[in-house]
Amino acid sequence: MCDVAKVQKIAHCLGVAPGNVQLNEEQVVTRTSAKQGAVAGFATILESLANESKSETAQNSKATREVEAQVYQWIEFSVLYVAPGSKDRNVAKQLLAELNKLFATKSYLVGHFITLADLAVYYAIYDLVKSLSPVDKEAYLNLSRWFDHLQNRDDIHQGEPLLNFTTIYLHGWATGTHI
Amino acid sequence: MSTGTLYTYPENFRAYKALIAAQYSGAKVKVADNFKFGETNKSAEFLKKFPSGKVPAFETAEGKYLSESNAIAYFLANEQLRGGKCPFVQAQVQQWISFADNEIVPASCALVFPLLGILPQQKNTTAKQDVEGVLAQLNQKLLNVTYLAGERITLADIIVFSSLLHLYEYVLEPTARAAFGNVNRWFLTILNQPQVQAVVKDYKLCEKALVFDPKKYAEFQAKQGGGKPQQQQKPKDEKKPKEKKEAAPKKAAEAEELDAADEALALEPKSKDPFDAMPKGTFNFDDFKRVYSNEEEAKSIPYFFEKFDAENYSIWFGEYKYSQELSKVFMSCNLITGMFQRLDKMRKQSFASVCLFGEDNNSTISGVWVWRGQELAFPLSPDWQIDYETYDWKKLDAKSEETKKLVTQYFSWSGTDKDGRKFNQGKIFK
Repeated sequence: MCDVAKVQKIAHCLGVAPGNVQLNEEQVVTRTSAKQGAVAGFATILESLANESKSETAQNSKATREVEAQVYQWIEFSVLYVAPGSKDRNVAKQLLAELNKLFATKSYLVGHFITLADLAVYYAIYDLVKSLSPVDKEAYLNLSRWFDHLQNRDDIHQGEPLLNFTTIYLHGWATGTHI
Repeated sequence: MSTGTLYTYPENFRAYKALIAAQYSGAKVKVADNFKFGETNKSAEFLKKFPSGKVPAFETAEGKYLSESNAIAYFLANEQLRGGKCPFVQAQVQQWISFADNEIVPASCALVFPLLGILPQQKNTTAKQDVEGVLAQLNQKLLNVTYLAGERITLADIIVFSSLLHLYEYVLEPTARAAFGNVNRWFLTILNQPQVQAVVKDYKLCEKALVFDPKKYAEFQAKQGGGKPQQQQKPKDEKKPKEKKEAAPKKAAEAEELDAADEALALEPKSKDPFDAMPKGTFNFDDFKRVYSNEEEAKSIPYFFEKFDAENYSIWFGEYKYSQELSKVFMSCNLITGMFQRLDKMRKQSFASVCLFGEDNNSTISGVWVWRGQELAFPLSPDWQIDYETYDWKKLDAKSEETKKLVTQYFSWSGTDKDGRKFNQGKIFK
């Protein structure tokens, strides 16, 4: 998923008009809106979207200063590491394993509620998760749970067909499978 | 928007369900002040509104009355908490509410209440295994889902969470909860929701599990008996100085939780003993058991027949049906002692001597039982029905000579079974 599409999706999630989103001549994503004029760069655009939004997710992302800082840390992480890394098989494997470990003890990336960090990483990792085979997904059950939780929210899947995690549910009650 | 008054004692996990639901919906709920457990809820005025006399109880601003915590929580919830628009998710919410009430709460109470000194320590209970079983089920479920029903927090999460609060506070120390990583993650997620934090204040996960302290229990019983619950001490010693005043309602309050706990698990022997319904007669088991333990059989067996009250008590012969399946002697003995353990609550009003005859791979089990009442005792309580159907039961005529012989033989652990196998071992149920 390219940055332009990601920004548009996240704008929809937050219930904000995306405005005019495109890549400038330096291939940096920019957003031009009536309220805030032109803004460049993925993280900055997400901040501008959150400022316009009254959604639960946007509110959560600004719950405390600490949360706010962590959210932007994850957004940067998604830009610098998740998006490029998911194109390399070995890096991707490591990335999935790390996220999977993280979600063993947490329901969301930051705090205990959905924030922009989840959205940024979700859309950054979407294509990678989509490319996984059912058996691959079984190796990342915690990550799959988080992903499946997010994709089932109307505001996030936005009409796209849901990725199939069914075999994972089968795994849940089939006895004698590997855990 | 719903408004009204909630009657409860402080820190009542059942009341939390309603209070958290109200945080989500914005319902205005006032917790009745001056509520005194054992007084307010037993007053005529309260009983007129809420005949059960139980808390939490809810009075709406329009003067309608609602009892039972799950119903109150439902009333105070919003659409999201009730499961949204999808009937399937709504049904899932109900499913988890029932799970909490039927599986978690009884297991949790059976495990935690003895540790708090509210109930006596039970030997051989399955409470710990029950709790672990429940947590394992939840853990499996929460591996694949973030919340219990649908993709939002619902009453399912709130009510299951509330039912687990005691366990995570008193029993599940870090090593004990390590096996339930998914439940831990989910529990912390729910606990840290702002709406939950607004209700469940200063909650700390267990660092070190409580252990049973007989002194604590004795104190609690003494105070209960003295009819002065106001002076009770709180079980948590470290908080004592700060909360001395609060201690009374909380302590009494926990006794109230017991009322509500599942009958089979609310193990208060006094009120729950089915034998209480039967006339006491003149035979005293305690006296007989004392004589039997301390004297030679030559004295104790005549004592038995002298004191025995055939009108109100009966003698039974029980023979194990599947003796051809018995193999090792020690296994057969375990079968007998296992049955005794499961019949623990019957002990007070019964006595038995069960003997094993023969040797490995050729043995029989039979015994003489005495209990209050004229009917077979086991159907009286669901707890007693595990083993008795594997035996053939025959009531003995207390007056006949044959019975006397049989009783003498079994009580003195001598003789042979009907096929001539020699006495091997005997077990006494007393």
